[in-house]
Amino acid sequence: MTRDELARTVPAPATAGAGARPVVARTKGVRKVYRSTIAVDGVDLEVPEGAVVGMLGPNGSGKTTTIRMLLGLVRPTEGEVELFGQPMPESAESTLPHVGALVEGPGFHPFLSGRDNLLRFAAAEPLLPSAKITAAVTNALELVGLTAAADRRYRGYSLGMKQRLGLAAALLVPRKLVVLDEPTNGLDPAGTREVRRIIAELHARGTTVLVSSHLLSEVEATCTHVIVLSKGIVVAQGELSELLEAGNPTLEVVTPDATQAVEALRANRIPARLAPDGILVDLVTTPAPRVIETLVQAGVSVYEARRKRTGLEDLFARLTETQSDDLPTDLHLNDVDHVGVA
Amino acid sequence: MTAIAWDETPEVTDRRHRAPLSRLVLAEVRWIFRRPRTLVVLALLAIFPPIIGISIVLAGPGEASGEAPLFVAAATSALSIPLGSFMMLMSLFLPLAVAMAGADAIAGEQSVGALRGWLVAPVSRGRLLAVKVFGVLAVALVAAGLVALTGLTTGLILNGMDGIITLSGTTLGFADALGRIGLAVAWVTLQLLAVGAVALAISTTTEHPMLVVALVLGGLIVSQVLSVFDSLSWLHPFLLPEGWVAAMPQLMRDPVSLDLLGEGALRAACYVVIGLSLAYARIVTRDG
Repeated sequence: MTRDELARTVPAPATAGAGARPVVARTKGVRKVYRSTIAVDGVDLEVPEGAVVGMLGPNGSGKTTTIRMLLGLVRPTEGEVELFGQPMPESAESTLPHVGALVEGPGFHPFLSGRDNLLRFAAAEPLLPSAKITAAVTNALELVGLTAAADRRYRGYSLGMKQRLGLAAALLVPRKLVVLDEPTNGLDPAGTREVRRIIAELHARGTTVLVSSHLLSEVEATCTHVIVLSKGIVVAQGELSELLEAGNPTLEVVTPDATQAVEALRANRIPARLAPDGILVDLVTTPAPRVIETLVQAGVSVYEARRKRTGLEDLFARLTETQSDDLPTDLHLNDVDHVGVA
Repeated sequence: MTAIAWDETPEVTDRRHRAPLSRLVLAEVRWIFRRPRTLVVLALLAIFPPIIGISIVLAGPGEASGEAPLFVAAATSALSIPLGSFMMLMSLFLPLAVAMAGADAIAGEQSVGALRGWLVAPVSRGRLLAVKVFGVLAVALVAAGLVALTGLTTGLILNGMDGIITLSGTTLGFADALGRIGLAVAWVTLQLLAVGAVALAISTTTEHPMLVVALVLGGLIVSQVLSVFDSLSWLHPFLLPEGWVAAMPQLMRDPVSLDLLGEGALRAACYVVIGLSLAYARIVTRDG
């Protein structure tokens, strides 16, 4: 499937239509060029309020650059960025206090303890009253499971502990939006589960979460929406469930009478073909109950019927790997060195 | 691990929120004075005056010479040791301390990725620079103050409070000497702030703190070399270290001559304005 087909089948969420959910973060035609490197090229994206949006893309696809522009750290070469409907980076002082961010890995001072590093960050949080700083830091440390190591120097932290401290900094004050760039980098499986649990908790509280990752399973497990970036452009965005079904919907029927089943369906003008342990039925023109009904009436024994869902992995591979075939105009981008913009 | 324990999440409006500047400055000063390299440099600066004092006493002319005790007493007085230490330390060590502070302030923070934390809090670029300038000023003031304090203490231990002898041969009261030392500390701090402003300007353009220190010290050494050549005398008024050596003896004379000090202060103020303007121009456009 080409990018254009996907764009048609998957409408972007919360476009100006009535009843649409408000958009927390939006970019319009955003482009960022570093010298001769095009890091991000005409990205339009929307983060609906209350969603957990997974930003997917291979290394160097422009995920981090896009996030940095959303946070006002980087000014786009072209295009507009909005947070809570206010232009960035101009409105940073009214929007960013409500945003928690972990960008480009944790950045802390090695000679300070985890707690002292957080105290330093907390001092700069506009929404944190001075009297509450100590308590907020203690809570954040507890939230990410760093209480025991809080007073050790950051220098001696493991990669996973550093990542947790970065997460703690993002969660120091109540947030409307939490942006996590590769939050599970360096975490062990237990740590990864904890990050998922925190994301789920934020979601339950109504906090919008934007999480970038190249780990598909992570996104599939935690996100409601997905934005797929490749080589600096958005190749797909929308609700995860819609995206996954955006491929041709197919019903997988397990039956010993495969040949008979295919004949019965074709007689009823329903496209079907043989599969290893049964048949695959195309659902573009026919709803699933009609297929089952036809099969049962033809005397085919149906053991199991299930909707064959495109795995996120398939989708991702299709979107990001076959792109140069679909979009010959993007070929020149392959020649550009994308290192350092991930 | 526990659950998220937040109060109500406040609504987003177009109201601007800022952390109090005093809180940022306090956090910055804490960070600076807990940094091991700051402490090492300050400790080395602090022990310099006692070493000078003791060296002069030990190396002084033998007791056989009649005038020797007077010379040694003059050179190791509570006025001479601090001012003499400034003279010697200004050529490299004191500028090194502020160059390091300026380098760590922005380039150093950037190199470990910690600057982002404040930028997304957010701390606006202008306030960030203001906090960093204050931090560099604090280092300059503490460095100069420490040298004066240990120098004064050394002088008092070696010679006591009375009869502080000036280069003009007169003697000064203790209060008068203290006043002169205070003036010297203020003047040296201003000179160091000028160095720090240049360091901050360079610091905004790189994320390699070593590069900042190397460029600042390299610039100072080149300036000092250039100031030796008479053929370049037209250039001398623009060189920051011009007068660093000559200014301190002015405070050891009686009466004090303020010409050189005033000229040096004006020059340093120009460097501060230019350095900070460049730093501001760069920091507001820099990618964070």
